[in-house]
Amino acid sequence: MSTSAAIAAPAISTEHLTRRFGDLVAVQDVNLRVAPGQFFGFLGPNGAGKSTTIKMLTGLLAPSSGRMQILGIDLTQDSVKVKRQIGVVPEGMALFGRLTGSEYLNFVGRMYGLDRTTAAKRTAELLDFMQLVDQPRALVTDYSHGMQKKLALAAAVIHGPKILFLDEPFEGVDAIASNTLKSMLQNMIARGATIFLTSHVLEIVERLCSHVAIIHRGKLVAQGSLEELRAGVEAQAAAALTAAGAPYEIDSSAPAPGEKLTLEQIFLRIVGGTRRADQELSWLG
Amino acid sequence: MAGLTLSPEIRGQFSAIARVRWQLFVNSLRTIRGRMEVVARGFMFLGFGMGAIVGSIGLGATAWYFVSSGRVDWLSVLLWPVFLFWQLFPVMASAFTEKVDSSNLLRFPLTFPSYFLIRIAYGSLDPSTAMGSLWLLGMAIGIAWASPALFLTAAPVLLLFAIFNILLARMLFTWVERWLAQRRTREILGIFFLFMVIGVQFIGPLVRHFGNRSQPAVSHFVVQALPIERLLPTGLVAQTIAHSLRGDNAFALGSFALLCAYTLAVLWLLNLRLRAQYLGENLSEAVARTTAPATKQQIRLGWNIPGVPGPVSAVLEKEIHYLSRSGPTLFTLVMPLVVLLIFRFSPGKSDSAGGLLGHASDLAFPIGAAYTLLILTNLVFNSFGADAGGIQFYFVSPVRFREILMGKNLTHALVLAAEMAFVWAGASLMYRPPPWDILLATVTGVFFALVVNLTAGNLLSVYTPKKVDLAALGRQRASQVTALVSLGIQAAVLGLCALAILVARAYHHIWLAAIIFVALAAIALVVYFLVLDRIDAIVLQRREAMITELCRA
Repeated sequence: MSTSAAIAAPAISTEHLTRRFGDLVAVQDVNLRVAPGQFFGFLGPNGAGKSTTIKMLTGLLAPSSGRMQILGIDLTQDSVKVKRQIGVVPEGMALFGRLTGSEYLNFVGRMYGLDRTTAAKRTAELLDFMQLVDQPRALVTDYSHGMQKKLALAAAVIHGPKILFLDEPFEGVDAIASNTLKSMLQNMIARGATIFLTSHVLEIVERLCSHVAIIHRGKLVAQGSLEELRAGVEAQAAAALTAAGAPYEIDSSAPAPGEKLTLEQIFLRIVGGTRRADQELSWLG
Repeated sequence: MAGLTLSPEIRGQFSAIARVRWQLFVNSLRTIRGRMEVVARGFMFLGFGMGAIVGSIGLGATAWYFVSSGRVDWLSVLLWPVFLFWQLFPVMASAFTEKVDSSNLLRFPLTFPSYFLIRIAYGSLDPSTAMGSLWLLGMAIGIAWASPALFLTAAPVLLLFAIFNILLARMLFTWVERWLAQRRTREILGIFFLFMVIGVQFIGPLVRHFGNRSQPAVSHFVVQALPIERLLPTGLVAQTIAHSLRGDNAFALGSFALLCAYTLAVLWLLNLRLRAQYLGENLSEAVARTTAPATKQQIRLGWNIPGVPGPVSAVLEKEIHYLSRSGPTLFTLVMPLVVLLIFRFSPGKSDSAGGLLGHASDLAFPIGAAYTLLILTNLVFNSFGADAGGIQFYFVSPVRFREILMGKNLTHALVLAAEMAFVWAGASLMYRPPPWDILLATVTGVFFALVVNLTAGNLLSVYTPKKVDLAALGRQRASQVTALVSLGIQAAVLGLCALAILVARAYHHIWLAAIIFVALAAIALVVYFLVLDRIDAIVLQRREAMITELCRA
């Protein structure tokens, strides 16, 4: 995806997106651009404003000011049209506990306007793909956390969305379930969908995402492809080296000579998350 | 319970818990909803306070009369209602009962004795404990007034009875809690509670039925039951006081010792449960793994209701699934027929064959219909309560809340219609089919009330939602504010209905009431659709509050 194409027709774009909770500015002046077909990772430390942003983008939270466009449609103007084209796995998974897995997927399919036959057919396929077929009578409330995550993802894709919003999809999921989720997401990307995900597991984001944005204290502090972010951080480090005349080895997140900066190292550099090595808690031995 | 002394560490933990509870209360006042809940609780407190004072005076006066007139053994007649209220109220109305999440407490280094004490202390100001204690205090004062010397016996034995009740209530609650923790046991318990509730409804009619006749079998049963009753806690309290008054100190001590034994037995059972919790008992339900190879599942097609849009049908289907899996809700559907049965078997004024409604059997259908309407109404006043975290799905789905609420309202209307048909059949079989004018007036009246309830229910579901577990018994089905507002709405609707019937009766044509109800329903329908048209805008304003309340853990 070229930069010019991304600018021409973004799948997700925000302008000066701001959200206040009383005196607290949770998200401030965020200008996001996500091109169609991108696997986009939205990162930030705890309380940085990730979930608030994704909630605003999916209609779960109203912005205090700013604009949001999904596939060129203003979310506040025509939210129904937008919602038909997106799939969402929110923080709480949005499940109906007293339905069985198949009843839930069938219900979701019909709420997205699928006819009865299509909804039933896709439900069967999704249950099979997500390995949820062996519990046909179990209620969702009795599912394990991993099973619920898989079901929530299945529900988010049943209508074939063009954009998928995932809030911490890998949290509390074991390696097998995680593998299933990843392969499904990669298939979606291969078919041209856009995925916007938040995650604290930076290794997964690094492996899956082509583009990343980092939010810190409510402000967008970096946005671009992994290579662009890496180049930016390295350039900053080189400038610091020239200015101070000393290497940045005091920082434990520095890469070994000849190695590329990992996403974790980039992230820590950008948000300044390294802690002084000599800092201790007085009562801990 | 060795080591039950309050060490500085335990005192610190107790004061920390008290402090955090106070802070939680203060923090709840930050929101308008929290403040409204406090006001609603204030009204409840006034109600319970009145009950406590009136009950104390009544029981005290009766105890004084029994002791003064030498009928001390009869004190157990007063103790039974106190005992039953103390034990049944927390289970049947657990909305007013403090609940403790053991997992939260057990993260901290609490010793078992301090954990035990905290579990006992929690809810010491519950209505049942506070009212029961005040009633016993009233009795103690009444006894002392009649015979000051008897106070030295009455005070400790009534205190022990209070302790017994506190421990028994906690013990029952912890065991019920354990059974409610798992779906299967929860549903079995649900059936048990239903039969208990139905059984309680029959006590009055049965007592009247048999009480009016001097049957030798009943008298024989009472004579045989009395010695057994004297060995039960309530009887033992009365016996201790009675023996003491007669100077039979050995018997008094024996009765007191037996009451102590009961208390210790309850303490032991409570100890069993609390120790299991303390040791980290986990009652979570995991889905059993199947060994058979997974095969592709045959998925049933969703419902297709002619003339109803797909999403509305989907919501209706989902609601019916939810209702069919809620034991307590299913049981409420049986209640209108039970009420008709109670009326049928209650003796009338002149002991007519038709029971309480023997002389007004035409009213059986209206009474059953009104009762149906009242018991089903609480479902519409908190429409999203059972959806809990699922509310987020409604917000991210491309379906308007107008359609979602129409699906929910349609479900309610269909359930009500089906229930009305059952009530009509029941009334017709037990009494006789209602005349056409009463049938018409009842149906139109219920329709008017339904539209009003749906309109108000849709608004209250958005403004004051409350997360509920439809599978659990005795849990609060709506917020305190909703409960109060819905009470006002029911009073207004019933008032209007009564007025319409009075007008119709004045003109000697009941069918006139039907015309009035149709006119009222037409007005209510206009308001209903006006509200429905505005509901998406209202929901958007309220979405954060709704999600916060319904998605809370």
